[in-house]
Amino acid sequence: MPIGPLVKTTRLGALARKEMRQIMRDKQLIFILFLMPLIQLCIYGYALSPDVNHLRLGIIDYSQSPTSRGFISALCENEVFERRDSGDSEAALGEKVRGGKLDVGIVIPPELERNFKSRKVTEIQVLLDGVDANTAGIANAYINQIVMSFDRLIRTGSQIPFQRAAPQISFVYNQGLVSNWFFVPGVIALVLNLVSTLVSSAAVVREKDSGTLEQLLMTPVSSFQILTAKIIPLSALLLINVSVSLFLSTFLFHVPFRGNLLVFFSVSLLYIIVGISIGIFLAAISENQRQTLLTSFFINLPVIQLSGAISPLESMPPFFQWLSLLDPLRYYCSAVRAILLKGAGFDAIWRDVLALAIFAVVLLWLSSARFREQLK
Amino acid sequence: MQKLPWCSDTMSVEPVVTVKNLVKNYGQTQAVKNLNFAINPGELFGLIGPDGAGKTTTFHILGGIMDATAGEVLALGIKPRDVRLQIGYLTQQFSLYTDLSIEENLKYVAGIREVPADEFEERKYKYLRAMDLLRFKERLAGKLSGGMKQKLALCCALMASPKLLLLDEPTTGVDPVSRREFWDLLATVTGDGVTVAVATPYLDEAERCSRLILMHEGEIQEMGSVAELKSGLKMKRLEVRVNQPDASGGTLEKLEEKLWAMPQSKEKIKDIQAFGDRLDVLTAQPQETEGLIQTATDLPVSIEVQDPTLENVFVNRLKGKVHVDHETRYPFVEKAPQPAGAEAIAARSISKVFGAFKAVNDVSLSVQYGEIYGLLGANGAGKTTTIKMLCGLLQPTKGEMILCGAKSNLRSAALRQRLGYMSQKFTLYDDLTILENLEFYCGVYQVQDRLKNERIDWVLANSGLQGQENMLTGRLPGGWKQRLSFGAAVMHQPEVLFLDEPTSGVDPLARREMWRMIREFAADGTAVLVTTHFLEEAEHCSQLGFMVAGELVAEGSPSGIKESQPGQLLEIRFSNQQAAYELLRENLDAWRVSVFADSLHIVVDDPDKELPRIVDLAKGAGIDVIEARPLPFSLEDSFISIVKRASVKADDKAA
Repeated sequence: MPIGPLVKTTRLGALARKEMRQIMRDKQLIFILFLMPLIQLCIYGYALSPDVNHLRLGIIDYSQSPTSRGFISALCENEVFERRDSGDSEAALGEKVRGGKLDVGIVIPPELERNFKSRKVTEIQVLLDGVDANTAGIANAYINQIVMSFDRLIRTGSQIPFQRAAPQISFVYNQGLVSNWFFVPGVIALVLNLVSTLVSSAAVVREKDSGTLEQLLMTPVSSFQILTAKIIPLSALLLINVSVSLFLSTFLFHVPFRGNLLVFFSVSLLYIIVGISIGIFLAAISENQRQTLLTSFFINLPVIQLSGAISPLESMPPFFQWLSLLDPLRYYCSAVRAILLKGAGFDAIWRDVLALAIFAVVLLWLSSARFREQLK
Repeated sequence: MQKLPWCSDTMSVEPVVTVKNLVKNYGQTQAVKNLNFAINPGELFGLIGPDGAGKTTTFHILGGIMDATAGEVLALGIKPRDVRLQIGYLTQQFSLYTDLSIEENLKYVAGIREVPADEFEERKYKYLRAMDLLRFKERLAGKLSGGMKQKLALCCALMASPKLLLLDEPTTGVDPVSRREFWDLLATVTGDGVTVAVATPYLDEAERCSRLILMHEGEIQEMGSVAELKSGLKMKRLEVRVNQPDASGGTLEKLEEKLWAMPQSKEKIKDIQAFGDRLDVLTAQPQETEGLIQTATDLPVSIEVQDPTLENVFVNRLKGKVHVDHETRYPFVEKAPQPAGAEAIAARSISKVFGAFKAVNDVSLSVQYGEIYGLLGANGAGKTTTIKMLCGLLQPTKGEMILCGAKSNLRSAALRQRLGYMSQKFTLYDDLTILENLEFYCGVYQVQDRLKNERIDWVLANSGLQGQENMLTGRLPGGWKQRLSFGAAVMHQPEVLFLDEPTSGVDPLARREMWRMIREFAADGTAVLVTTHFLEEAEHCSQLGFMVAGELVAEGSPSGIKESQPGQLLEIRFSNQQAAYELLRENLDAWRVSVFADSLHIVVDDPDKELPRIVDLAKGAGIDVIEARPLPFSLEDSFISIVKRASVKADDKAA
């Protein structure tokens, strides 16, 4: 029949028009689509800053030698440590750290100068306020770096003044952590993941909740048309959501966009299909909206945590690093970082794109099969 | 207490509820305008009226949940808010803990109301037994059917032994058997002195009230006992039947048109309503009208003169106050006529098994084009499973199906294009406007543009929604939604129409409009299969099938079913109704006895033998029989009787 395809497309048109109208009338949905990126970006970008600055440092210098003074200036010649009153004894210093008046205490032994000259190892005592384990760990790492670098500079007998060493150290350690650059692309991915699964599961389960799905099944539309009509308008809206995220990240956080927009949106579209598939799957296995929401926590939290969106993959134990290979968001995160920060094109990120494409096809197939099955 | 408590010579009794000049406004709209009535102790007081009449608002004020704008409301002599502990309140929503069992729910309610342990046990046993829930007491409330939940909710409300019980449409969506049990318990508790006020959309239930008020737009249209309301109409109802083998397919509609076309009809005939196999003609001059009907047609008709029904009262009092345009006709497209005897829907010994549970067992039925087939049954009888199999949503485990002449491929798009379906859940999109919903279904069914506009106009005109097409559907009251939903289901002029409880919770006026629309389709040759819990409504069907425990146990036309009932229905008035009721329920099968206002309805197999026995039984207990007369079986009586006899048979088989 020649009119067959035409009839089908207009039926699809009626379905898609209905979806679009429902979405546009859902104020909560519009709120999620546009305000979620703003809120999440602000929270992760501003509030959760991992930079450690202006730590209160107390020093008891028993050595009182040129070497010890050089070492102290190496410690304080940066933004990280700020020297404060340390009391007059080791015991007083310990008390101050314990009482939370100081973050770090350092005791330089009297034999420093002597050991230094006789090329022996000197032990320097470092007291850390362990209440905030994260800050303590970072401070510890800084001090180690500074000590090592100080050591190297002295041994190589370089004439470079100490103060030039400090910024160098801090830069090397911080890598991405100094700025929001690490976070913002991750948050773009995180928001897209949350919004796409929530919105698509809501669109499908709502139909089940209100009984209109049964009514639809009695009409001549096929389940393929029902799903397609849901996926197309949602994809368009989610592309807008990514654009909002991208705009905010460059406008508010001055994250550079060094890549190609087409590459960025193509990769995003792949992830949108992944997210929608997860949402449809959630809706297909739940009875109602409440169940969908609860189940989505089980899926979304691990997906986000394992993806490297908010904490670097490298800091995870090997088992979880391996597990993260099964997380589609991991590939999207790494692709977005590469596109934004390094200006990577398809040639550089083809592995991520391929992984995402496989995930998209498999998940879409799985979720539509599950959707169709529950109709029987 | 030999006298009924609300009789006029006990006027000294302080009323339980007094309502004087009650007014309630919501912003600009007046929900209740100047309401005046009093409810006496032990009354079963009914409120009827269309959607939006102000019934729920009145209940909210009586229950102390809401304040009146003006006027005085007293419950038990003081402000309702201050006696809330003595008022039981029950609505359509189930107020149960679904994760607790029946017994735990009762225990919880008894606990917070501080009911002593021995009283709790006594009441629990009494109410659960009356509701036939005793054997399920371990079952979680969430796993109960709608009817059982409402019965349990009533038991919970009764646990605290309230003095006043307010019930706002408590039996919506509840099957007839459960409804009968529900109302029997209400009759028992009023006998114990509890005062009950109940709003209901079901007029067969309203027949059981001691007094009624008919409300419309916040005002009382009429107040009195059922008998007073009926006689106040000063009219008779003529049941006109055409004695011809296949009288369906528009015969009755044609007769109705002929009658209206006669010059004398305007003054003699007040109203005509078409049912499945008869016309009801309402008239003040029965004899002359009878002659008129005989001359109007050369078909062999039989005419029976009957009292008007409550629905006649309802419809005639409110006629002209509700505007609906009947002139717009559905733009039917001429189709090639179906071959004579062609089956639109047929099932040959279909069964459906879920795991070890036989939901439907060996059901066979056949529906012709132009026929309205009603499938009736209690909750869990397998109706929904059957209708799902018939319309192709479910695959039968065994048996053969025919749909629109097709035997296989029942899920094909081409076949579904010829079906219409309306499920018991309201199936429009709440977040789309009325027009968008209708346009959506037109789009899905690919209705041509020219027809589309005409048909949308037809739906809007027939549901009284002209000019409101851009309103969000979610804001519509139930009755309108349901008609709109029906309209959406027939946008494509289906050949076969499935309606699963299409009028649940719809008031009698809206229901009547809806059936007019359904009949319009049947007259054009559409096959209609409908399920309903509402037995007055089943009268509209030309053929009925009764299901019990997954099997089709009786089939026939409404008149045929009623006539084929074994035994006789008796209406008996006793000197002490409550005592007689309890006595007879002990001595006969409980289902045979029920309270209707000031008399008992009793089903007996052999009246000549059993009536004297009943009289003797009553005499032995010191109760006099004031009056006894035979009544024709209503469909509800037939239904209860069929279901009960079939379950007894099934139990015997099991034993």
